[in-house]
Amino acid sequence: MIQAPDDIYLALQRQLYYEARILSAAQYDEWLAMLADNINYAMEMPQRRFKEDRTPDRAPRKTPIFDDDMAALKMRIARFNTGFVWAENPINAIRHIVSSVEVFETDDTNQFSVYSIIEVHRSRLDAERKRLTAGRQDIWQKTGSEFKLLTRTATLDDGVVLDSNINFFF
Amino acid sequence: MSELDDLIDFKTGRQKRVIYSDPDIYEQELEKIFARSWLFVAHECQIKEPGDFIRTFMGEDEVLVVRQKDDSVKAFLNTCTHRGNRLCKADHGNSKTFVCNYHGWGFGTDGALNGVPLEKEAYYNKLDKGKFGLIEVAQIKNYKGLIFATFDEEAPSLEEYLGEMKWYLDVWLDAMPEGTELIGTAMKVELPVNWKLPVENVSGDGYHLGWAHAGAMSVTTSMSVGGLEVGNTGTDNDGAVSVAGLNGHTVLAALDGQSGYGFYPDPKIAVDYLQANRKTVVDRLGEFRGTKMWGSQINMTVFPNLQMLPGLNWFRIYHPKGPGKFEMWTWAMVDKEMSDDLKQMILDNVSRTFGPAGLFDNDDGDNLQAITEQSHGWRTRQMDVYTNMAIGAEHSREEMPGVISDGLVCEQNQRYVYRRWLEMMKADSWDDIPQYNSLEEARATEAK
Ligand code: FES
Ligand SMILES: [Fe+2]
Repeated sequence: MIQAPDDIYLALQRQLYYEARILSAAQYDEWLAMLADNINYAMEMPQRRFKEDRTPDRAPRKTPIFDDDMAALKMRIARFNTGFVWAENPINAIRHIVSSVEVFETDDTNQFSVYSIIEVHRSRLDAERKRLTAGRQDIWQKTGSEFKLLTRTATLDDGVVLDSNINFFF
Repeated sequence: MSELDDLIDFKTGRQKRVIYSDPDIYEQELEKIFARSWLFVAHECQIKEPGDFIRTFMGEDEVLVVRQKDDSVKAFLNTCTHRGNRLCKADHGNSKTFVCNYHGWGFGTDGALNGVPLEKEAYYNKLDKGKFGLIEVAQIKNYKGLIFATFDEEAPSLEEYLGEMKWYLDVWLDAMPEGTELIGTAMKVELPVNWKLPVENVSGDGYHLGWAHAGAMSVTTSMSVGGLEVGNTGTDNDGAVSVAGLNGHTVLAALDGQSGYGFYPDPKIAVDYLQANRKTVVDRLGEFRGTKMWGSQINMTVFPNLQMLPGLNWFRIYHPKGPGKFEMWTWAMVDKEMSDDLKQMILDNVSRTFGPAGLFDNDDGDNLQAITEQSHGWRTRQMDVYTNMAIGAEHSREEMPGVISDGLVCEQNQRYVYRRWLEMMKADSWDDIPQYNSLEEARATEAK
């Protein structure tokens, strides 16, 4: 894999930090603006299987936690905007921490493959603290001086989801 | 009157909050309810070939459900008989043997102990391997694709246990000739909640839908579901029923034949499927179930911990993990005859509405967690909570079994779930647990 040039690397790293800040602040209109119209935003339910399992071909189909196009993401955000999502009022303090960013070129000169790790901390009621981690693999599309998120595939680390809602994005 | 009687008042619809927090009550639940009931362990489609296995729980006991060479199914405690290590750590898969990670004892898929390292040198060939096979459940039985097991030799047959609930289960399990299958794997979430709260919620609580889920309802609803409206401003008592008194099992059902797909933003291919197959289903289940129930939004609860919602097409089991914790496993369940496109749409919709990031499911956790926590305090645990809506509205109907109240907004079903809970908690043996499947029988067996 070929490392992207430094200016691209810096620009995308900036983009990821900016994205993390607006996701933590639930500024979803700004977030939607940085997504390509044909976005695929996906996260699969992890499975624990033996390495030597003889039947990968008979494994059940992949089970999404997210498998969203633009319309589905807008539906989720519309729900937040109804003012009826009682679990988020008062708001739960949330921090998105991005690290281990790597940027590679792809066959398309205007698309870059970006790896990162996202750690989501939520401070819920009283002393309740949740922490979820996931690896992310993105494709960012460059148009002029702008980058748009084309695909994101996040891999959750826990085999059992450890928060009773995912009223946020990774 | 035992102390237990004080916890539940069936007639007035009252429960003591301590049932959601007390460790001793929870211990009794493991013994009196989970160790005696028929519990769902696997769908037959999950273990098709010999050696296919799935790892699950019966109460807090971990079990392996394994397809045998002769096509039968066995379920074993997932624990090595030597020093008690966990035998299998994978969620599911296919194996010829299960070899323990500690000292290497090897068990066949039939549970027999086949291999013992250093058997000659260390045991001098004196170990009676026949005595150290895996421990099997007491009974295991398949009802139309769903495999149930119980630890209790004395438990009535599965058919008797399900009683007239079978008539309702068949609206999903036996509507189409090929039956059902689970697609995808389990979506698993851990919640800091007492296990009874999600059970009572889905068994009968149509009341919370328009309010707790107001946000989700307003963005997903594409057709009327029992007349429920965002903000609890409307319901339709004629178009839906609450059904209980089925040996503790319950049903909440709209009767319009299509509203199961009411929470799909674009249900067209599902509604087309219903239309194309309506006649087949009427032939198999008769006019009433075929036209009024098949396709409708229905919540089915098999006591104590299995729930399934045809239409929304989710299938869910709750595994208790102590008085204040459970794991929730949710799958998408479909008719085998459905097209691949429809199956995929259903899987995506189950995830989007009731998965870990589900638009609906994400509204319930905090409420149920708070109820659990509000049952802990020195003062709150002495307090009561109420399911006293529509008391006295019970009746029976010619066309369907069980005790009926009108509408989806009705707390009859929760009262019957807690009645069953109390009956099982009090009973020393199955002889003391009443069987009832109609209003008459439910009245005749009601505790004095
Ligand atoms: S504990 Fe399993 S082989 Fe010893
Ligand atoms: Fe709910």
